[in-house]
Amino acid sequence: MILFGKIALGVVGTAVAGVGLLCSEGLVEVKVVERQPEVHHVYVIAPAMLAPIAVYFVPQRHLSHAAAEIRPWMPTIRATLDQLRETDDMTLVEVKEPGEHVRVAKEGGSIVVDLEDHDDTVHVSTPIRAISSTMEQLAAAGPSI
Amino acid sequence: MRKRLCGIGMIFVLAGMVATARAAIAGPAERYLHVKVEDASKGESVNVNVPLSMAEKILPTIHKGDMHNGHVKIGHADMGDVDIRALLDAVRTAPDNEFVTVKEKDQDVRVAKSNGNLVVHVRDGNKGGQKVDITVPMKVVDALLSTAKDNELDVSAAIRALSDAGDSLLVTVEDASQHIRIWVDSKGSQE
Repeated sequence: MILFGKIALGVVGTAVAGVGLLCSEGLVEVKVVERQPEVHHVYVIAPAMLAPIAVYFVPQRHLSHAAAEIRPWMPTIRATLDQLRETDDMTLVEVKEPGEHVRVAKEGGSIVVDLEDHDDTVHVSTPIRAISSTMEQLAAAGPSI
Repeated sequence: MRKRLCGIGMIFVLAGMVATARAAIAGPAERYLHVKVEDASKGESVNVNVPLSMAEKILPTIHKGDMHNGHVKIGHADMGDVDIRALLDAVRTAPDNEFVTVKEKDQDVRVAKSNGNLVVHVRDGNKGGQKVDITVPMKVVDALLSTAKDNELDVSAAIRALSDAGDSLLVTVEDASQHIRIWVDSKGSQE
């Protein structure tokens, strides 16, 4: 009985540690509401750590072009993300047109993009840390120069 | 009783010292560059807010075209053979004055140096014509010219100077339907 208890504790402990590790970079949240032609709701919440892991498993030949394009801009991307991490929560860009509204903001360690038009409402929230590690992973892919 | 009062007094003094030290450690408040473009006829608006410290850190990392290490190269050919650096240097060293005044039937242009600012006013007298007001603190002009090279302007230093210059309205452009405003303040939002 005690042995079962220990095994159960080990399994639960490993599961909790695994979930903790997966969520260590925060969660990516995607919410889409389609209004036309029918109303559809899509809500996805996933550990942000999956993004750099997914990039790691993509064959290098598919990423080499993107990696070559992004590599020269990595110092700029790093500086931007570092500064975004340090700055207070704020709206960075907001565009309003009749029937359309786009907002890009920094909210609590994440970059949030809200888009609303006649047909759809889209909300995407991505932790800055996850963007950073995905970019690093992407830049490291492909042959080094 | 006296000892107790002394103790309370010491606590207040210490609290004051801690608060002052914290304020000193916190440093100057963050400043933001805001751009607001509104088109009333189309019902459109674009708002951009950028922390100046962010711009200051990002600019030196950009190496593209004429932009390198926060410096921008200026060729005489690009400026219609006008030596922009010499021109800015002349304005910088000149006393407060009106440099250019052009009055035409339907246009008014005024370039002056006033109260530590370089001021440009353009008025288009036509119906719905544009009104342009540009105010650049001279500290920013100084910073632009702070690089040793003749054919370069130090944009990073200019942003740093802008950050130190306090709240300021830099550019307004108005016409019948459009309104553009660029300013610096310590608020993260445009409200």
